[in-house]
Amino acid sequence: MSQVILTVDDSASMRQVVTFTLSAAGYTVIEAVDGKDALAKLSRMTTRVNLVITDLNMPNLDGIGLIRNVRTLPAFKGVPILMLTTESQESRKLEGKAAGATGWIVKPFAPEKLVGVVKKVLG
Amino acid sequence: MTDRDNGPGMIDKYKEAFQEEARELLSELESALLELDRKHDDVEVLSRAFRALHTIKGSGAMFGFDDIAAFVHNLENAFDLLRTGKLAVTAPLINLTLAASDQIKTMLDAAAGSGVVDPLRSQEILTELHQLTGMGEARNVLGSLSPHPSRKASSANTVHAQAHDWRIHFRPGPDTLLNGTNPILLLRELQDLGTLKIRVDCSAIPPLGEIDAEKCYLAWDLLLTGETNAESIRDVFVFVEGDCELFIEQVPEVEAEIQARGVSRARAEGANRPGALVAAGASSIRVSADRLDQLVNLVGELVTVQARLGEIAGRREDADILQISESIDRLTAALRENSMSIRMLPLRGTFDRFRRLVHDLGRELHKKVELTTEGADTELDKTVIDQLNEPLVHLIRNSMDHAIESPEARRAAGKSEVGTIHLSARHSGAHVLIRVSDDGRGLDAEKVRARAVERGLVPSGARLSEAEIFSLILEPGFSTAREVTEVSGRGVGMDVVRRSVDVLRGTLDIASQPGAGLTVTLRLPLTLAIIDVLLVRVGDAHFVLPLVNSLECVELTPKDALEANGKHVAIVRGELIPYIRLSEYFQMNTPRPEREQIMVVETELGRYGFVVDRVLGDHQTVIKNLGRLYRNVQVVSGATILGNGTVALILDPHRVVQSVLQNGVSHRRAGNPYPQQQQQTQELIPKGA
Repeated sequence: MSQVILTVDDSASMRQVVTFTLSAAGYTVIEAVDGKDALAKLSRMTTRVNLVITDLNMPNLDGIGLIRNVRTLPAFKGVPILMLTTESQESRKLEGKAAGATGWIVKPFAPEKLVGVVKKVLG
Repeated sequence: MTDRDNGPGMIDKYKEAFQEEARELLSELESALLELDRKHDDVEVLSRAFRALHTIKGSGAMFGFDDIAAFVHNLENAFDLLRTGKLAVTAPLINLTLAASDQIKTMLDAAAGSGVVDPLRSQEILTELHQLTGMGEARNVLGSLSPHPSRKASSANTVHAQAHDWRIHFRPGPDTLLNGTNPILLLRELQDLGTLKIRVDCSAIPPLGEIDAEKCYLAWDLLLTGETNAESIRDVFVFVEGDCELFIEQVPEVEAEIQARGVSRARAEGANRPGALVAAGASSIRVSADRLDQLVNLVGELVTVQARLGEIAGRREDADILQISESIDRLTAALRENSMSIRMLPLRGTFDRFRRLVHDLGRELHKKVELTTEGADTELDKTVIDQLNEPLVHLIRNSMDHAIESPEARRAAGKSEVGTIHLSARHSGAHVLIRVSDDGRGLDAEKVRARAVERGLVPSGARLSEAEIFSLILEPGFSTAREVTEVSGRGVGMDVVRRSVDVLRGTLDIASQPGAGLTVTLRLPLTLAIIDVLLVRVGDAHFVLPLVNSLECVELTPKDALEANGKHVAIVRGELIPYIRLSEYFQMNTPRPEREQIMVVETELGRYGFVVDRVLGDHQTVIKNLGRLYRNVQVVSGATILGNGTVALILDPHRVVQSVLQNGVSHRRAGNPYPQQQQQTQELIPKGA
């Protein structure tokens, strides 16, 4: 069974890139438009989510808030969470790590880089 | 699908989507700016504007709109200051941003193929932005923001990489698992970089009661050999670097060489210490055997005391004492192993001495004999080796004198003129098997039997198996050679061999084919002092069985216990295993517990089960001899004193099975509590008569 990845980004084009790249690499990708949407989708999920990839700057609930919320959910303890950051967000990266993120991908990234990082945390 | 399919072509398809999205974001930005114009300090609106800029920059860089990304980057920085309150919103700033928004639209149009961008206009806006915000020189270049920067860097590094040894210490933070990092994946990733030797450090695991199952307590010491560099290794740990203990160091070449030669690191370090006793390489020191014996005796005492400590600590339920007791237990085991290994010597020296013996005897007896050896590197306790010399000399003399024929007789029998004596040694569980075989005339069972009758060792009508007949030659005063020679047969026969082997708590088997030779197998314990055992309880009595032979302990349910031809057979993991119930074997008349346990033991006669009331656990045991009175008890190889002071007999599973096989269905026999106490050889004969 293919592994399930939830990608959270308010940018539709970014979501498309992530979805297309990771689908092509054999993963099942679910999309959410912001942190609030992601939490709602996670709470309705009947299958296990193997990885969450989230943007940091989003309306309603931002990436850091999402990470903090996910880490309080018993069902998602220990699920890897990757942040999509830009190089200007070094402090946000640390903030995300402190909130419980597993790692990060720096935008812009080449598709193979994304797949590489996903493989790194999913094995 | 390959990565190539995800390449630039795929990105192009999304440029259009980005164009659309960027225009939406720009109108979002404009409406936010107009709202800000009315209410300068609305943080929520400021955040909206910042997010719009941030997304345009991020996605723009993603899809190759580097000029837009670089341009927006400056605006984003300004809005970051605004939303964090480090800069106040002003009307000129809003107007400038609106102008910038228009400029971005022009850039988007130009990218889509309509119109051209005026780069001067972009620079004008950025210069003005710089003046309004007081930020550092605004750049219109986004040097590091193009994709694949890391790939370039890493490929440049690998060009110069050479195979090196890297020592890595990695202790993940306690919350590593909770944060979604699987340390095993990191180790696997390292394996992609080269050959990885992994040693796990469990020392930080707290007592069971304090363990938080979600925390990570392990650490790893790794030795990586490969064409890699520190950056590549550090890259593996990039996500955890701040939250873990991580040391990466290149192993100096000299030390790497030592490690490659299989010399342990501890030893190499020992060599560097001044005055270290053990130096790297072949250097050694001589210690008198007495001092080694003393050491082993002391360790033996320590093992006994430790068993008592463990027993008391177990009863006390005091975690501190239990922890100390367990540590001492581990140390004692290591100390024991170490001091035992010091006493182990290869048989080579003994074997080599026999070459000379065979040569000299051959000349004396005018026989041509060649000695071949096998397994000369097999190691045995020094005491065992010392005491082994005599019986082996005797066996070889016997073979030379009686078994191997004269060259003429051999030629007549169609054999090669040169006889062969083969000495071999190999490990078998806690024992070493030493075989002396020759290709001489072998034993004639009828002759042996006749001789035994003549000597009054057996009644003339006794029905004996071949093995039983051969064992007769071990009886005192038995000798088949008609004439006394210089070499052997002076009334001292194989009984000398048997006595020496008995002293070593070994056993002796003889196999022979008339005309084809004789093989004597000595089965000797590896060491005489301390062994690992499983402690079991049968009724009120305790027994111990050597751990090396034990395969598994499982519960014996009535439905798994079968009877076949009056013999006990149990089904263990789908396999039929004959078993011996110790309470029956020793006729202990204890009530059978509802649930028994069966220990499956590998003996040289196959797998056998030993059914006991309970298996209590593994122990290190100091073997105490039973003394002269019990010298002939074959199935018990000694006794041991348990932690609480009670005595447990050490069973020899091989001999127990042998006795059951020889006595038929012996587990039902009434009478003597130790059936085998009836001295195999003497009891054998009246029984068969």
